[in-house]
Amino acid sequence: MEFDWSPDDTQHRREIREFLRQELPDNWEEISQHGPGGDSQAAFSRTFCGRMAAKGWLTQHWPSAYGGRDCQPWRHSIVGEEMWAVGEPRGSQYMNVNWIGPAIMRYGSEAQKQLHLPRISAGQVLWCQGFSEPEAGSDLAALRTRAEKIDDHFVINGSKIWTSYCNHADYIFLLVRTDSHSSRQRGISVLLVPMDTPGIEVHEIPSVVGERYFHEVFFTDVTVPTSVLLGEEHNGWEVVNHALQFERIGAARYARAAVTLDKLAEVAAERGLLRDPIVVDRLGEARALCEAARVLVYKVIDIRAKDRPPTADTQLARVLSTTCDNAIGRLALDIYGPDSLEYASFADNNFRLAMTAGVAVGATEVQLNLIASRFLDLPKD
Amino acid sequence: MDFELNEEQQAVLEAIDRLLSQHAGPARAIELNRQGHYDDALQRALDDAGFSTIATDLTTERGPAWLEAALAVEAIARAGGVVASAAQMLVAPALGEQPVAGPIALCTADNLAHPVPLRFGAHANTLLVLGAGEVHIVGLAAADLEPVRSSFGYPMGRLTDARRIADLRTVGERLGPEAAQAMTNWWRLALAVEAVGTMDAALQHTVAYLKQRRQFGRTIGSFQAIQHRLSLCAIQVEASRWLAREAAYHGAQAEAVAVAAAFALHAADQIFTETHQMSGAIGFTCEFDLHVWSMRLLALRQELQGVGGARRALVEARWGVNA
Repeated sequence: MEFDWSPDDTQHRREIREFLRQELPDNWEEISQHGPGGDSQAAFSRTFCGRMAAKGWLTQHWPSAYGGRDCQPWRHSIVGEEMWAVGEPRGSQYMNVNWIGPAIMRYGSEAQKQLHLPRISAGQVLWCQGFSEPEAGSDLAALRTRAEKIDDHFVINGSKIWTSYCNHADYIFLLVRTDSHSSRQRGISVLLVPMDTPGIEVHEIPSVVGERYFHEVFFTDVTVPTSVLLGEEHNGWEVVNHALQFERIGAARYARAAVTLDKLAEVAAERGLLRDPIVVDRLGEARALCEAARVLVYKVIDIRAKDRPPTADTQLARVLSTTCDNAIGRLALDIYGPDSLEYASFADNNFRLAMTAGVAVGATEVQLNLIASRFLDLPKD
Repeated sequence: MDFELNEEQQAVLEAIDRLLSQHAGPARAIELNRQGHYDDALQRALDDAGFSTIATDLTTERGPAWLEAALAVEAIARAGGVVASAAQMLVAPALGEQPVAGPIALCTADNLAHPVPLRFGAHANTLLVLGAGEVHIVGLAAADLEPVRSSFGYPMGRLTDARRIADLRTVGERLGPEAAQAMTNWWRLALAVEAVGTMDAALQHTVAYLKQRRQFGRTIGSFQAIQHRLSLCAIQVEASRWLAREAAYHGAQAEAVAVAAAFALHAADQIFTETHQMSGAIGFTCEFDLHVWSMRLLALRQELQGVGGARRALVEARWGVNA
C-alpha cells in the first residue's frame, strides 16, 4: 500500500496542464458554458482532440496495437482529472476513449476495429450512447427498441430518450432488443449505428439543465447491415455492463468540483463571507467530500490497473462523486447568492452540470442496490 | 499508487490481528468498561510484540512506518481494545526521539483551565498538553487523576488539581511550535484512524445482525429501506478508511489530516445513529456488543473541537484563511 505518484506521472500532469494553458482560447469559459454537449464545445472538441491525438495523449492507455501507448490506467486518470477540472475540452469524446473504444476492442470484429478505432484515437469522431427509453430508465433491461434481423440486415424501430451529444454524434452505441421472445437481460444486442442512416430523427427535449442537453432519438425502419452488431447477437447486456463498470467513474467529477470549490473559497473571502462560521463549515465539508470521492475513485483505478474484475467499489465511488458534485453545485448558489440566478453565470453553470449526476449512468438508488448485494452481501429474500 | 497491502504490511496486520484475537474483543471491553479498568495485559502484549513503537522501529524506505502504525491502531480500534494506542503509537512518536511513558492521555491547555473527562485520564502516566505553539510533556502521579464515570466506551478520568498540572508545565518538558503542529496533526489523524476501525466494527456488527434477524417474515437486511441506508454507511466508512490511510502514509500533513478527520468524525455520527436505529432496542443493552464501538464514536467527536474544528483547520490549510 502506497499513495505516491511516480515521477513520470507527476511530469505528465505538468505537461497536460501546460498543453491546456496553450490550447484553451481566451473565450473558453464562453465556449464551455453549455457543457460537453453544447454546440460550441462539440465543435471545439474536434480540433482539440486532434491536437491531443497528435501528442499521443488521447488514447495513451490503449494497447499499442490499437494506436495507444500501453500506458497504465493511472496515466489516463491524470488526463481525465485535468480535462474535467477545466470543463472537459474533449467534449463527448471522453466517452470514446474511456469505454466505447475499449468495448470495440474487446467485443468487436476485425472490420469494426479497423473502421472505428483509428478514428477514435485520432479524435475525429463523435459518439453518443443510446440506452435509456421512455419505459426503460433506471430499469434498463426493460428496453423495447427492436432490431429485427431480415437476411443480412437489421431493421430498427423504437426510440431512445435523454440522449446527450446525439445532435453532433457521428455514431450511436445503440442497445436494442434482437429477440422479441426474450425478456429482461436476455435477447439484447449492441449495434454501432451511423447517425446519418435514413430513418433516424433527433428532437431536443428542452430542459432546465441547459441547451441541447437532452434529446429523443426516433428510429423508423432504420436499416443497417448485420456487420454493425457488436459482439454476439443477444449478448449485449454483458457488453454494456462491462463498458458501464468503468463509465460510472469515467468523468472525474470530483476534479471539476475541487476547482469550482477553490473558486468559491476565493469569492467567499472577497465577499467577507468567511466571517460566517456556517460558510466556513460548508467549505470544509465540501473539500472533504471532494477528497473522499477522489480516493474512492483511485481505489477503482487501482483495481483496473491490476486488471482485476470490477467490484462494487465502482458503485461506492460513483455515489460519493454524485454527493460531492451536488454539494458543491448547491454551495455555489449559496456563495454567489442572487448573482447565481443569471443563466450561464459561474454558479449557475456549475449547478446545472452537477444536477444530473445522481440520475445519469444509473440512478443513485440502483448503485445503492448493487452495494447492498455485492459489497455488503445482504439478502434479497 | 497501490491500494493493496504489501508483504510487510500484510505481516503486520496478521500479527496484530492474531494478538488481538487473544487479548481483546468486545467481551473483554465490556468487562473492563464495567470496572473502569485499563487493559494492562493487552498493553503489555502490544509492548512486548513491539507494536507500541512500530512507527519508529519498523522504518520503511520513506522513513518512519506511519502507515503501518495507523493500520495497527485501526485494528486495535476494530477490536475494541481498551488501551491508549493512538496516543502511544501515532502522537508521541511524532514529537521526537525520546520515549514517552504510557499510558498517555491527550489534552489541550484549555482543558487545564476547565478540567473535562479525558480518555484514559484515570490511568495515564503521561499527559501531553497542547497549547498555542507549545507542547508540554507532563509526568503524572496517581493522585493527579480521578476516575469519571462515563457511558462513552473508554475509561475516563479528570485532573484532580489542574492548577498544579498547569504549574508543573513550567518544570516539565516543553516543546516548541513545530511539536505543537505535529501534535495537532497526529492527534487529528489518530481520531480519524480510531474512528475508522470503530465505525468498521459497528457497521459489520450491524450488518451481521440484520442478516439473521427476522421480522415481518423476512430478514430485516433484505428490506430496501434498510439496504440503502447500510450502503450509504458503507460508503462513509470506506471513504474514511482510505482518506486516513493516505494521510498517514504522507506523514500527517495539515490539510490531509483535516480532510480525514472532517470526513470520518462526520461519518461517525451517521454510523452511530444508523447502527443503533437499525439494531432496535437490543442495541441499547450491555449484552449486545454494538455499544462497545458506537458509544466510542461520540467520544472521539469531542476532541480537538471535533468535526467543526477539523473543517476550520481544513479551510485554513487549504485556502490560507484564518477561519
